[in-house]
Amino acid sequence: MLFGGLGMKHSHILAATSAAAFLCMIPAVAQTAAPRIPRMADGKPNLTGLWQAMGTADWDIEDHSAAAGPFFQLGAIGAIPPGQGVVEGGAIPYKPAALEQKNKNFANRMKDDPEVKCYMPGVPRAAYLPYPFQIIQSNKDVLFAYEYATTNRLINMGKPQEAATDTWMGTSNGHWEKDTLVVDVTGFNGNAWFDRAGDFASDSLHVVERYSLLDANTMNYEATIEDPATFTRPWKINLILYRHREKDARLLEFKCVEFTEQLLYGDLVRKPSK
Amino acid sequence: MNQRIFLWMAMAAVAPLSSVAGQTASQTTPKSSKPAADAKTPWGDPDIQGTWTSDDTWGVPFERPKNFGTRATLTEDELKDRQKRVEQSEEFVGTGGGNTHSPAVAELQAKEKGEAAPAPAAGRFGRGVDSAPVPGHWGEFARRPSHQTSQIVEPADGRLPALTPEAQAKLDAKNKVRREAIPASYTNWSYYDRCITRGVAGSILPVIYGNGLEIVQTPGYVAIRYEMVHDVRIIPTDGRPHLSSNIRSYMGDAVGHWEGKTLVVETTNFLGDRMAVGVNGDGGAPYSEDLKLTERFTRASGNSINYEMIVDDPKTYTATWKVAFPITQEPGYQLFEYACHEGNMAMHNMLSAARMEDKKAAAAAAGQK
Repeated sequence: MLFGGLGMKHSHILAATSAAAFLCMIPAVAQTAAPRIPRMADGKPNLTGLWQAMGTADWDIEDHSAAAGPFFQLGAIGAIPPGQGVVEGGAIPYKPAALEQKNKNFANRMKDDPEVKCYMPGVPRAAYLPYPFQIIQSNKDVLFAYEYATTNRLINMGKPQEAATDTWMGTSNGHWEKDTLVVDVTGFNGNAWFDRAGDFASDSLHVVERYSLLDANTMNYEATIEDPATFTRPWKINLILYRHREKDARLLEFKCVEFTEQLLYGDLVRKPSK
Repeated sequence: MNQRIFLWMAMAAVAPLSSVAGQTASQTTPKSSKPAADAKTPWGDPDIQGTWTSDDTWGVPFERPKNFGTRATLTEDELKDRQKRVEQSEEFVGTGGGNTHSPAVAELQAKEKGEAAPAPAAGRFGRGVDSAPVPGHWGEFARRPSHQTSQIVEPADGRLPALTPEAQAKLDAKNKVRREAIPASYTNWSYYDRCITRGVAGSILPVIYGNGLEIVQTPGYVAIRYEMVHDVRIIPTDGRPHLSSNIRSYMGDAVGHWEGKTLVVETTNFLGDRMAVGVNGDGGAPYSEDLKLTERFTRASGNSINYEMIVDDPKTYTATWKVAFPITQEPGYQLFEYACHEGNMAMHNMLSAARMEDKKAAAAAAGQK
């Protein structure tokens, strides 16, 4: 809830709902029209490639207007770009206390947003950070390597494994439903956020991601978010991932830890003596 | 990281014992029905996928002790001795780490026996994490004794070639910073302690824990994930050239190709003057931005890969040198999320303690005036 209040967002619900409905239709169409998509030897779609979301979901997954950023010194560079939300139905169905927490998160975002501190982004945020990610799909498992913070996760395509412990990125078990890669993610530690607007979930979060190629170079991304501790009902994120088609585009290294050290430890660094 | 430091301290007691304990992967061949040495992916590349660990080389000296000269392998007697030490470290780990140096543990043990607590030992043990009663700890260990006398296999004496004068100066400067009694800043610590990375070499050279890596292949790519500090390398094998030399990174730019059943990976474009090609990316002289690493992964059996790495950095070393050891698949070995930076409370605490020491020193100095 970046600007104004809930009321403002509600005025967009209709538009967002119809947009979401349209988005949902695409995979279905894709399946029946069978556009040419890359496939593995076993006939499964081959998702290998460098992907990235467009848009502003990482600023706020809900509808939001343009706004000034927290630091006037950064001028237009630090401003928040406007964006149509990626939440189906327009608004996240927070429980009242959780909505309060989200607003608190936003107010304290420069201190508390894990992205500020170069902490792992969690799921689904990893999918729409403003950085690319590389999928390496083998004949066994599927590796997701995100540029941001060198975060990576392996999607286990074998016998589903229970999360051994709670983690930032959770434990991912995948399977194919026709041409859609379905990834069931559990075992979150509840520390990750959804965006810079302070949207969040608890450690009872359960995410089901669906990756469906629309054609060779675009992929529909849907995530069902379930967390009874935070939300009144399950809800969905829906957006499109685009393949980087630039010649020789590849995943680069964004190890951001050292860009946060002065922020995190600067007050404990010895000051030069007078 | 707290845990890392604790582990190092806890394992300091075993280090002398294990520094001779080690292994090469050929003594026992665990039955594995699946992959053979010539396993192929469905698209015809050699299949080196799976979870691997350099544990079997844990304890083999990086540089060969001088008394071995140019002898690269152990004698049968020496091997037997190493086998014994492997068994000992297995037992050590199996029984909870027995960090008997810890006064806290000694106190607990005394209490169990109904005896008075022993007097705390002098020195650093008994301070910091050791001052709280904690149980012993686990560590990783070799399953089979290595025949190797050192991890470095070239030059023939198994020792690092001489450093260039500029590299020696960089090493001296780095050591001075690392050894400052009261650290001024987070930059006093290694890139590993800071949870940035262990670099390419540091991610595979065996240490007391976190030696796991996972290889995932697809047509045109090999990816390697390293558990520690959650590093990952995406290695194109489609013949593309290196990135522009203007793009530099800690893990460098890796391109690979297959030579028969061997994956050859050449990595360049490193950030110079930061990391070293040594244990945890900090052991030894910082390498230059001209560093080129050439790694070879050759599946030797169903559960082992012969790994080697040639280090070429004329600004740092007066000759190229090579490290070689097997990496193996071990039943049940699995990678977990290593959220290093996210849990790096130790950095905050160490700096906070250092500033307190500064204050005390300043107060003492003021009192003397």
